Amino acid sequence: MSPAPPRPRLAALAIAVGLVLADSSIVVLALPEIYRQLDTSVAGVTWVLVSFNLVIALTAVPAAHLARRVGPGRAAAVGLAVFAGAGLACAASSQLSTLIAARCVQALGGAAAVTAVLELLPATVGSERRAATVWAAAGATGAALGPAIGGLLTQLVSWQSIFLVQVPIALVAAVPILAVARHEAATGVLSAELRRTGRPHLLANLALAMVSAAIAAALFLLVLLLIEGWALSPIGAALVVSVMPLSALLGSRSGGFVPDAKSRAAAGALLVSGGLGGLALLPKATIALTLPPQILVGVGLSLVLSALTETALSGRAPQAIHGGWTISARHAGVVIGLLALTPIFTADIAQQRHDAIDAGTAVILDSKVPPLTKIDLAQRIEDRLEGERGKVPTIGPAFDPLPSDPAEREAVVQLREELQDQLDRGATHAFSASFGLAALLGLAALLPIGLARRVEL
Amino acid sequence: MSAERDRGFALVVGSAIVSLLLVGAYLAAGGSSYAPAKTQNPCKPRPWRNPEGLQQLAEQFSLSALDGAACELGVSRETLARALATPAARERFAKRYGIGEAELAKAIRAGLLRAVDDAERAGALNPLIADPLREAVRSIPLPEAIELVRDARTLLDNLQSFLGPAQSLLEQFLP
Repeated sequence: MSPAPPRPRLAALAIAVGLVLADSSIVVLALPEIYRQLDTSVAGVTWVLVSFNLVIALTAVPAAHLARRVGPGRAAAVGLAVFAGAGLACAASSQLSTLIAARCVQALGGAAAVTAVLELLPATVGSERRAATVWAAAGATGAALGPAIGGLLTQLVSWQSIFLVQVPIALVAAVPILAVARHEAATGVLSAELRRTGRPHLLANLALAMVSAAIAAALFLLVLLLIEGWALSPIGAALVVSVMPLSALLGSRSGGFVPDAKSRAAAGALLVSGGLGGLALLPKATIALTLPPQILVGVGLSLVLSALTETALSGRAPQAIHGGWTISARHAGVVIGLLALTPIFTADIAQQRHDAIDAGTAVILDSKVPPLTKIDLAQRIEDRLEGERGKVPTIGPAFDPLPSDPAEREAVVQLREELQDQLDRGATHAFSASFGLAALLGLAALLPIGLARRVEL
Repeated sequence: MSAERDRGFALVVGSAIVSLLLVGAYLAAGGSSYAPAKTQNPCKPRPWRNPEGLQQLAEQFSLSALDGAACELGVSRETLARALATPAARERFAKRYGIGEAELAKAIRAGLLRAVDDAERAGALNPLIADPLREAVRSIPLPEAIELVRDARTLLDNLQSFLGPAQSLLEQFLP
């Protein structure tokens, strides 16, 4: 019995990697919807992301060892089946705790599949170096595309559809891999290939963790800013953040002109930090101003993730184990980024909400609107603030209906604009410190990248 | 090998320049100061705008009273203004800041006294009206005090219509 032909098998393996690694970020745009439907807190809903990344970080290396023991074809097929089954459980969850538990199981299956695939790729593409490139590119593409796809599905169908869509894709990808598993069972060829495991590339993996923390922050914070801060719909936010994967595609093409992986890694880290620095210093609450920073982050992430993954895998055997280390480092970075920044930005949101409301009240008190209109407006705004407790308020409806007197109407409209400006300022500024810290994390990654230039581990 | 190294170096330098340009451009466009406007310390005196007519006088009076009461309670004028908007808002405010009815009443009376002083100092309130107003404010119950902060027109109107003729009479006899 022979394994599946190379082309469908390559497609299946790349899809499996892309699908699993997209899952670390695919729910980002659905988080506000999950937050509302499951009636939880911002910190609580973050665990839908954190749990998946944490379990992958902890189990990627053991899963790679297991894959080599039981055969990568079998491990990948079982991993994808577990991933799909847990996806169904995620979609059926009506409570945050069950959703998080299902996400943990999904991560277990994902870790097994994605590390086993790296062991299967060399036989499909002809060399370990080419396998590492394909594997890294599929992972970077999945991670970059995840949020946009998740946003589209959330808006067009529901957040549950994100998990349901993954089920048939995972099963289709598992079909050619099953053929490999049957081949393994028939020939027992892989048990003969067990080799001693070398040390992981410490500096490349450390840099991967730092950069991944910065990139996760970029995606997560930008989505929250767009949806919760600027009141965009998930589909609107998905369109806006799709600039990042498009730029990542551009970056992956231009990266081919520079074979030196360490230069690409340093350039990528600089671009990610520059983009995050731009997001920390947005001079106005306008979508257009998020585009240049996103382009920098997108190009940067494709350069740095693929360069560091290739460096971590280069000349190291077995590939699955070292691939497991890179997966572990990336997801640990995501977890650290989310856990470190969540308390900072939730505190900042609360503070900025308070400051913005105070500034808006000052605008009302000092405005030229007649006192009785002010009192009436103050009451309606207070009601809205109470109704949208804990969130950045949408103030527009508090001004409806507008006064019939033209002069008073004009004064009220001007007041509404000034008030909205204060709220926009608060919503945008609430994310500045977190984006700034993420930019510093990206810059800090230059240290291990720079050291790796001289000390080749 | 050297060309490869040059391309790598150019990529790193180019990335650094592009990143710095973006950050510099956003800084120059005011990115570091794009935040909600800071509210003024209520304990600091605010310029009293020249009120024309009863409505403006009443409004200026209310703002001054809010400043005075907020200063007394150690909160912003804006926070107190929202707290006085509805009874439910007042309850939430009292719970959040641990302020009882008596403390709130005392602070609002202090605020109203400051408003009378400010109005008198600005020449917007005649001393003949200011003194009885102070007396009234010292013993005013909380609901009326809040109403006075929200809209002082009725009281000022009543005082002026009552004391206005008396003032004209006094002015005729006094040098």
